Amino acid sequence: MTLTTVLVVAAALVGLGLWGALAQQSIVMLLMGIELMINGVLLAAGGLWALAAGGDPKGQLLVVVAMAVMAVEMAIGFAIVVAVYRARQVDLTDGLDSMAG
Amino acid sequence: MSGAQPSLVVHGAFWVFALVAVVSGWRVFRTDSMVRATFLLLASFLNVGAILLLLGGAYLGIALLFMMTVEMTVMAVFMVAFMMNPAGLNPMSMVHQPRVAAVAGWAVFAGGAAVAVWGRFPRRPLDPAADVIGALGTELMGRSMLIFETAGVALVATMIGSVVLSSRRSRFGDEAGDIGSLPPMLDSAAGTYPPGVVSEPAGAGHHGSHGDHS
Amino acid sequence: MSGLAVWAAPLLVAVLLAGGVYAAAVIDLATGRSVAGTGLGPSALLQPFRRAALTVVQRPSATERPDVVMWLLAPALYLGLAAAGLALVPLSPTFAIADVQAGIVVWGTIESLVIVAIFLHGWSANSLQPLLAAYRFLAVGVSYLLLSMFVLIAAAIPAESLATGQIVVSQHGLWNVVRQPLGLPLFLIVALGSATWGPLNVADGTDLAGGTTAEVSGMPLLMWRAARLAMLTSFAATVFLGGWQGPWLPGPLWVAVKTLLVLVVLAAAGHRFARVPTERFVTICWVVLLPLSFVDLAVAGVGAL
Repeated sequence: MTLTTVLVVAAALVGLGLWGALAQQSIVMLLMGIELMINGVLLAAGGLWALAAGGDPKGQLLVVVAMAVMAVEMAIGFAIVVAVYRARQVDLTDGLDSMAG
Repeated sequence: MSGAQPSLVVHGAFWVFALVAVVSGWRVFRTDSMVRATFLLLASFLNVGAILLLLGGAYLGIALLFMMTVEMTVMAVFMVAFMMNPAGLNPMSMVHQPRVAAVAGWAVFAGGAAVAVWGRFPRRPLDPAADVIGALGTELMGRSMLIFETAGVALVATMIGSVVLSSRRSRFGDEAGDIGSLPPMLDSAAGTYPPGVVSEPAGAGHHGSHGDHS
Repeated sequence: MSGLAVWAAPLLVAVLLAGGVYAAAVIDLATGRSVAGTGLGPSALLQPFRRAALTVVQRPSATERPDVVMWLLAPALYLGLAAAGLALVPLSPTFAIADVQAGIVVWGTIESLVIVAIFLHGWSANSLQPLLAAYRFLAVGVSYLLLSMFVLIAAAIPAESLATGQIVVSQHGLWNVVRQPLGLPLFLIVALGSATWGPLNVADGTDLAGGTTAEVSGMPLLMWRAARLAMLTSFAATVFLGGWQGPWLPGPLWVAVKTLLVLVVLAAAGHRFARVPTERFVTICWVVLLPLSFVDLAVAGVGAL
């Protein structure tokens, strides 16, 4: 459980999340890809805090702020999905190609 | 958690958690059933939370476990509502630009792994006797109070925004939210919904014109 | 922290779990009989064993193409979460099976994983009634989960710690039920929800032919029912009634007495109140109970100034 291994695992999660977010057509799956990316960021931040920063409390603060970002992203993302579906009946990213309306 | 050098059990546990987190994260995008996809993502998060606990983040790990469980529970409802294959009965592949995405994913992983392996980070391990929860609390309420309050305001804005965006009395007038929410009529001979099912709101037919809502 | 050998902790948890499940079953039976007006005989003490034996000899049923892993995992997960909750309870000033630093947050995690377990139990059967029960329980579950968060944080404020041992110690002069009066009723509502009991029995309700247990029989059903009973013996005694504190009797005995008292109240609520419809409970929870929990948190905060 060295810093290197923790960061490699975090990079794997970010890469997986990016692949999922770019490849998926559904907006909800896109949100799940973004969640996975933030998951990787949380792991990297936690690993750096515990193994490179010597327990500096600002490292924990970064993790807490990233968790808040995750909550915000999911809430607004789902609200937008609902609003877009009601206005245009689309739930695929390919259908969101116009900003009018 | 266990002194300066983590024991073999901790190392082994870390690799188990890491493997399960990565594999279940990959399976999220490969499975057909939507509920399974959500709970595979939850499994990935739970394992990352367990790794954070192993690293010594007593509060961070548990808080991540807590938050992610509730988030994935809510996400399960949305996945089934908005995805086409909720029960996983048919195989499906809803991807676009698959090669671009794969290249991007691998590139990011390669870059991150390169930084992890060849980057020069200071090596200052966490003091196992430190009171990490107390330190976090003091930091949040003390020097980083501004960040804390900003996050609070952002969360309130999120709450208001999500309620406004998804309320039934949507931005286009009363009951306009109902129009889009109702499924299309399956019987084309019937044409439209019978009168009384849905009242006629002001801007129902015009999706593009809202001069009064700027 | 407790100095317990590694093999002794699961054994102790199993003993506590068995005791808790038996006590909850007997109290539920006795309360039901007294509410119904039938006699309260000593047969109530043996009835849980009879019911358990009857359930065990049933043949486990199967549905068409269930999600086998989750269907078997859900009762085990539920029981494991109840056991984990019991492990958090401080039994004496120096002993808790698992006194972790962030005990309150662990309890919150246990409650949210209970919601996941109940949902999976209903979804994985691939049948209509369990699925409906699981979905309506999701709505109820997310609602009462918020109540529990605020009420527990309010209880942690005077203790200046998230650990359950410290919370009990902080109630030395005055129990939390007195200085935070809104906390205990709200937390009892949460306990009813976590066990899908009584008025909040939307997951196993008889109006849906048993809900998530509609297709379950045999040993998995016994485990599920035991887990529900075990969830009733929850945290309330520790966080609001002073835990192991009390004159004359040793600490663990006081914990048992207070837990039994909470069990009697919950069982009475189960037999006296009708099942609340999901929409009504969600409305009440978000419009009335959640602001009350904010008031409780404010009272705790002001009290700590």
